[in-house]
Amino acid sequence: MSILNIRQVCPLARIGLQRIATVDFSTTSAPVPKEKVEISQVVHNRNPRNLERLRIAWKPQGYHLEAPGRSYWHKLVLTSSSRFISAKVVHFTGKVVVEASTNEWCIKKHLYNTKDVSAYQNLAKVIARRCLEFGLIEMESDFKDVDPETKVGKFAKIIEEEGITLSEPKRYLPAYPFHQTRPEKPWAVTED
Amino acid sequence: MALSVLRRITSLRPSGKFARSLFVAKNKDLDLPAFGKTLEEQLKEKQVQDPAIYYQVDIGLPRESFSKRRDNTSDRVAHVKKLKSDVNLEKLSRHGKLEIPMDEVRQDWLKEKGTQHVKEIAEHYGVFQHLFGDAYFFPRVPLDVAYDQGDDVFAPVCFGNQLKPKEVLKQPVIQFKSDPDTFWTLVLTNPDGHLTKENSEYVHWMIGNIPGSDVSKGDVIFDYLQPFPLKGVGYQRMVFVLYKQEKKLEFSQLKKSQPSLADRTFSTYEFYRDRQDVMTPAGLAFFQTDWDRSVTDFFHSTLGQEEPIYEYDFPEPFYERQTYFPKLEPFNIYLDKYRDPKDINRDYLVQRLAKENPFAKPKPKLRFPNAEPLPRDMPTWLQDKIKRDRLGWGRINEVEEYEGPPTDSLHANRGLM
Repeated sequence: MSILNIRQVCPLARIGLQRIATVDFSTTSAPVPKEKVEISQVVHNRNPRNLERLRIAWKPQGYHLEAPGRSYWHKLVLTSSSRFISAKVVHFTGKVVVEASTNEWCIKKHLYNTKDVSAYQNLAKVIARRCLEFGLIEMESDFKDVDPETKVGKFAKIIEEEGITLSEPKRYLPAYPFHQTRPEKPWAVTED
Repeated sequence: MALSVLRRITSLRPSGKFARSLFVAKNKDLDLPAFGKTLEEQLKEKQVQDPAIYYQVDIGLPRESFSKRRDNTSDRVAHVKKLKSDVNLEKLSRHGKLEIPMDEVRQDWLKEKGTQHVKEIAEHYGVFQHLFGDAYFFPRVPLDVAYDQGDDVFAPVCFGNQLKPKEVLKQPVIQFKSDPDTFWTLVLTNPDGHLTKENSEYVHWMIGNIPGSDVSKGDVIFDYLQPFPLKGVGYQRMVFVLYKQEKKLEFSQLKKSQPSLADRTFSTYEFYRDRQDVMTPAGLAFFQTDWDRSVTDFFHSTLGQEEPIYEYDFPEPFYERQTYFPKLEPFNIYLDKYRDPKDINRDYLVQRLAKENPFAKPKPKLRFPNAEPLPRDMPTWLQDKIKRDRLGWGRINEVEEYEGPPTDSLHANRGLM
């Protein structure tokens, strides 16, 4: 994925938009003097996770005949060993981004059993909180049609309750002039 | 002789992991693929990097000495034995009602595996790559940064969580454990979205010579400046780096009276390179911000200028080279491909403005706009164009603020993969 170029849009594009409310955001001191700042036409945002958050980033394509698919940016994977369970968030490049396991002493020292339903529930809370701390709120998973009465079902339920969305949005493809309709731009801020 | 060998190998029909070795042995000097390499194998080969050239350097504090890390295996075994003999715990666990203390788990995690995990997530966010180049460090000193939201509510800065600019307008509360006779430096930098220079950062806050952990007693080199993630640019990282100083340092050359935004152009790489013998990065915390109305206010009130709006630069659509006599191409669609989009949009805009009357009420949108017939003698290509325009399909959408007829489920979700 290469660095993105962001083009300055003509200010006339704001015709028709209105300021709904004015809120005072002033701070006590002015850390920057009031003088005109030079702005370039192209600005680079080097954040490697930015395009994924904006839904513009490339997802692996062409594996639609495989199940489960490979078309995701981040995926939550739950593995079970004979002695413990482990949850990890994996990037499509293969890199393990976040991980938690009931084999870690910080979790194991509070659990009676590292594989029963309580272990699954507590592991769900731990991995969810770590994901929130690391800024990963949306990720694919294989838990969509799992019976909520099973251990994995309870795991998935707690993950969702903690604020993680277990499905990723579709990739945004730009509308070219000859396309029939225009999809909504995901970076258009709708909240105040 | 050779023919009989060949026949023997083919008749055996090797399969599995031994198959490739047989073929490779025969064709070693020709370097032919045996059964074809998988995509992963091919990519791995391409991504191989010479470790003599591509390597990273650990510039952080060293790990706690082995003598300090006690061998507590026996303690842990005893603890687990105690847990296993607890009847109440077993009952709670069996019924799925056992809840472990999350705060304690987090504290213990940060002491043990947390450092490794934080380093890996910082690599995933490209923090080390863009701040230090080929160097990295393990954040041995846990750095607690929190923004006061009022009513005893604090928004913490962890390792990549999202905060809005209006939540981070004022400087945060910093906490970290240290010896009282040590000196520290704290730098808040934004490596994304520099307004003019490529691959450059803005320093939003810098305090040097912090004695112990009292940030208020340090030398303020740059006052706290609120983040201003530009509209349309997306999510920018704001990185707090805590450096441990060997001794008290002189930062007067960095200090500027009333630094402008251009004076805040910063390079962590150069800053650290010039002080690498007397400073070590020890703590790390970072968050992500994206645009907010407070950024508009920052540009209007603090800088006194118009706010820039950006849009992602998507690649242009690919069109084949234009020919004089295209075969079986509808002439109007073909020519529109090679026309300047501004001219097409101007035509639509002129057409729309001719009908628009700012003093009249807007006409209600027709539910079946093509129910109105078109003249029979009108050429069919023009009839098709008018029908498409009435439905709000295609190029008419390029004109700003055009609201076509109400979309129905038949035309929903187009343009999404």
